[in-house]
Amino acid sequence: MDIQWREDQPIYLQLRDRVKGMILDGSLPEGEILPSVRQVASQFQLNPITVMKSYQTLVDDGIVEKKRGIGMYCLEGARNKLLEQEKLQFITEEWPRIVKQIRQLGIKPEELLRALESEE
Amino acid sequence: MSVLVKAKGLTKKYGRLYAVDDVDFEINAGRIVGLVGPNGAGKSTILKTILGLTGCTGDLHVLDKIPRRDRVSLMRDISYIADVAALPGWIRVDQLLTVMRNTHPAFDQGKSMEFLSGTDIHKSQRVRQLSKGMKTQLHLALVMGVNAKLLVLDEPTLGLDIIYRKKFYSQLLNEYFDEDRTILVTTHQIEEIEHILTDVLFIDRGKLILDMPTDDIASHFTQLTLDQHKAEQARLLQPLNEVGQLNKVVMVFRDADKSRLQALGQLSTPRLADLFVACIEGADHD
Repeated sequence: MDIQWREDQPIYLQLRDRVKGMILDGSLPEGEILPSVRQVASQFQLNPITVMKSYQTLVDDGIVEKKRGIGMYCLEGARNKLLEQEKLQFITEEWPRIVKQIRQLGIKPEELLRALESEE
Repeated sequence: MSVLVKAKGLTKKYGRLYAVDDVDFEINAGRIVGLVGPNGAGKSTILKTILGLTGCTGDLHVLDKIPRRDRVSLMRDISYIADVAALPGWIRVDQLLTVMRNTHPAFDQGKSMEFLSGTDIHKSQRVRQLSKGMKTQLHLALVMGVNAKLLVLDEPTLGLDIIYRKKFYSQLLNEYFDEDRTILVTTHQIEEIEHILTDVLFIDRGKLILDMPTDDIASHFTQLTLDQHKAEQARLLQPLNEVGQLNKVVMVFRDADKSRLQALGQLSTPRLADLFVACIEGADHD
């Protein structure tokens, strides 16, 4: 598998976000073992230290835990926890930007609601 | 952390030419170190001194031994894949394994066989019947059987197609490398291995111009992409180099004040290949 890493963010954070994405979309279910550091290093052609660093940030966030002799596994409740984090991030970081744009363009709330309804 | 290679004032002269000129560096256990430089920079000479294949002046210790003097005992703990595949064409794979078993005191044939079973190489094949990529895999199989502390790779994937190049590093990471093992690798295709490396040594014309863990690069080097008309302002902050790109200019800075750069354009971390060029051009200014 080949992926392009972006240059504006360290790779271990990009890898962390990928794992988070896998948990959010359900491809890595709670209770499931994460691919080993060796596997990930080999597959993505990364040095194992980068992969370990990435996994460590997930441990620090309380998303995964290390089981002796088995490896990292995804904690129960991880998905909800991530979802809450993502919601908070959206509301505090992305939403203000969008609001600003809405104001700049002079879009009225009813116009947005109408657009939303036609989506559904 | 244990130091595997320690060089101080390492120097090698060919006639009046300094191939390696007063170089200091250390390589720690459990690292993957890239020795990067243009042709004739002194990469291969440094590898040869580490392997004890050539003499040198200055202080050089490898696994607490002096390579030129203790070469035989050192070879128990070092594996080496050279850029030139040197295996004789007539030898069969099983014969090669026998030779290894009979000459290397610590050779584990089982490990080599296990690796070979995952390839298309058969025991009864002769080296000359193997493709270039398969020959490299055969080398790798032998390396797996030698429980070396230090693996030295000199342009290991030269002449291989992209599939085999990727495979080579995947197998290396998956089946060979662990925290007790150390890899020192030179390559021209730096883009392909930049994320594998834990440390880089940049060398140019015999001189070491950068020695840094790859994790520290982002905190020391900044790449700034900015509009032409702001270039003059940015030059005051002394970039290592600048490259024109369409209507933009790309500059690399060392230990610069990021908040001042931020105001001029877009910041990122330079890729190793770009950093290498910047370091060479930056060294030329001094």
